Amino acid sequence: MIIRHNRASKFSIAATVLLVLFGDTEAARAAQWIIDPARSKLGFSGTQVGTQFQGTLTPYTARINFDPADLANSSVHIEIDPASATTGDPQRDAALPATEWFDVADFPKAVFDATSIQTTGTNAFNADGKLTIRGVTLPFSLPFTLEIDGATAHATGHAQLIRTDFGVGQGPWTSGDFVALKVDVNIDLVATRGQATTSQ
Amino acid sequence: MAIGILAMAAIGIVMTRPGLAPAQFFPLYQLHKSVGITILLAAILRILWRLTHRPPGLPADMPAVEKLAAHAGHFGLYALMLALPLTGWALVSASVLHIPTFLYGAIPWPDLPILSALHDKAPAEAALKAIHATGAFALIALVCLHAAAALRHHFIVRDDVLTRMLPWPQHPARRPKNSKIEEQRS
Repeated sequence: MIIRHNRASKFSIAATVLLVLFGDTEAARAAQWIIDPARSKLGFSGTQVGTQFQGTLTPYTARINFDPADLANSSVHIEIDPASATTGDPQRDAALPATEWFDVADFPKAVFDATSIQTTGTNAFNADGKLTIRGVTLPFSLPFTLEIDGATAHATGHAQLIRTDFGVGQGPWTSGDFVALKVDVNIDLVATRGQATTSQ
Repeated sequence: MAIGILAMAAIGIVMTRPGLAPAQFFPLYQLHKSVGITILLAAILRILWRLTHRPPGLPADMPAVEKLAAHAGHFGLYALMLALPLTGWALVSASVLHIPTFLYGAIPWPDLPILSALHDKAPAEAALKAIHATGAFALIALVCLHAAAALRHHFIVRDDVLTRMLPWPQHPARRPKNSKIEEQRS
């Protein structure tokens, strides 16, 4: 059984994406989890002319069904607004939505969609799915650890991607001379088990 | 203004040197843009002032050809102190890098229309780069000529053309060159 829920949470991501899941150790079915935006962070980091910077993405919409005992029916779907990317530098933040980078006018959404979740260790999982940025969809795998305390779950995960695989950075920016091609994606999400509102 | 122009020439020459790492030249470009727009605004104020105030006349005994050269040189200085920031602004606007401008890291400054919307910016950027560089070297040459002329007036012709340009109060009017010459002879 898959429980779906749409919720506009406040969060962020930019060249990246995420996901998250949370488990219910008691229920026999995949439970729906609702992200707590105040305690969660969806971010990325990159390197510009030799200096690393941190970025966050907010808001995003997440639909999370997760049960460690029912991984087959667990899934994660996160939609991110690339226009929300902020990195603490007005120049960089003004550049990111432009055509050369996220091109938010043509591609207003980045999506991570994972339907295959495996256990990789104690409290450790791997979410395999597809990541779409700037209109390019590629397989993407997000390893994460999960701690569940009652009705609250805390997931942290990290992955890397090559921005140019998704066309982020056009023209002269396809070289890594000024801005590194490798981008780190970081998630640190807190969610609470939600009420099942829909099922199918 | 003079310090700004000299600084811009130095920054411009350094930042375009091949072999610099991006971490070295990137901040220089941003500073160059900030100072350049500052000079543009100052130049506009200066030219408005110049148009509404009559400058001191040239020494009456200057040869006509020197007067003509002086006027031409001054016109060139005014023209270039406007043209360089404007072509620089145009160059940034036509840059294929499309890097937004924030003056001194804080004040957003727009790109010029049309140039920033060109489908293929590369040819426009290359042309503007050549114009900007040529203008820069012309201004450097003109500034050198201007300084040389001022020094000539002071040390060779021995009139008050240089001292009256100085921003600080002058000592009791410099003596006319004739009396000065007589004094030295005595």
